[in-house]
Amino acid sequence: MKTGKIVLRNLGRDNPVFAQILGICSTLAVTNVLKNTAVMCLGLIFTLALSNVTVSAMRRLIPGRVRMMVEVLVIASYVIVVDIALRAFVPDIARQLGPYVGLIITNCIVMGRAEAFALTNPPGAALADGVSSGVGYSYVLLVIAFFRELLGSGTIWGVRVLGDGWVNWSIMVTAPGAFFMLAVFIWIVKGVWLDSAPADAGKAGAR
Amino acid sequence: MKKTGRSEWLATMLFMTAVTAVCIGAVAGLHLATANVVAANESLFLRKAVRAAAGLPATGASELNRWWAGDVEREVLQSGRVAYRVRGGTGGSAAVVLEAEAAGLWGRVRGLVGFSGDGKTLTGVAFTEQNETPGLGARIEEAWFVGQFRGKTGPFSLVPEGTGSAAPTEIDAITGATITSSAVRDLVNGAIPDIRGGE
Repeated sequence: MKTGKIVLRNLGRDNPVFAQILGICSTLAVTNVLKNTAVMCLGLIFTLALSNVTVSAMRRLIPGRVRMMVEVLVIASYVIVVDIALRAFVPDIARQLGPYVGLIITNCIVMGRAEAFALTNPPGAALADGVSSGVGYSYVLLVIAFFRELLGSGTIWGVRVLGDGWVNWSIMVTAPGAFFMLAVFIWIVKGVWLDSAPADAGKAGAR
Repeated sequence: MKKTGRSEWLATMLFMTAVTAVCIGAVAGLHLATANVVAANESLFLRKAVRAAAGLPATGASELNRWWAGDVEREVLQSGRVAYRVRGGTGGSAAVVLEAEAAGLWGRVRGLVGFSGDGKTLTGVAFTEQNETPGLGARIEEAWFVGQFRGKTGPFSLVPEGTGSAAPTEIDAITGATITSSAVRDLVNGAIPDIRGGE
């Protein structure tokens, strides 16, 4: 598969969040404030890209029986690197994110891309796949976080944009609000775009 | 599927051991390399919080460390509570800052409560650890919330958000975060007897 096609699929038709419904835990957990979401997304893109490249570079060496152990080990190492870097260089943001950074390890997208793509493709393609999957995840989260912060707190990136007359929708900053927002997002994307786009699902299945 | 030979087992084990060693080595190395920076960030954070609770304006890191070394003394009170005595000097009057904690909604809320030198009024409140809901309980760190303790006497009771109460024993709670607001009230009220009871 060509790099451009990999990128486009990960951003659109095969988007990890709204098409594959992966990484939902973090989508629900970190999207109530835009700033935390952005840091989480950068952490995920970093982890996803590097773990994909590393697993891909070792793909001929990894014994089939222990491949998942190796993948988890590689992913966990990069996540700890992100965690340490945040605590050392941006302590205020690290304090706000708390345990969420460590939870990148459990994000199904990272393991999924390592298992489904990096094990069978060269490092260059794996890098493109990792970054584009990460970006595909990120823009969905940022859209959800934008509306949750706007409706739930009346602010965007911590700056007040809705007037004093605005009554905060408290449910938007708690977990149920994330379910509603994610559902509405998937509903709109699937209804407006995915269903009407020309179907090449048959080709993908036959490959 | 072919049967696994002994040499294949050995290769697998060796590979796994090698990968583990490399990963752990890299992570441990990075941890050691940044341990000093992380520790410095932690102590800087505490110093900033003590300064804020003492009601003094924020300063840069080097000024903050000079102030800490010269004007602040840590002691443990009879009750076991940790206190920071802030000497009055240029640009500020004497204050006593106490560590305090209470149970929030999701976990422990820890903070610092500052009192004026005579113990009659509060100089400020700062939080050092909290895991409350972002957008609701976590709003206790917002400037208007911590700022409203200043100059009041306590012990405090809560009034609805937006009241803007000026009464010396009332603070505005946060709408949608009643449990967190109550925790902060208890945290602050719990520190008051240590200042006024014993001295």
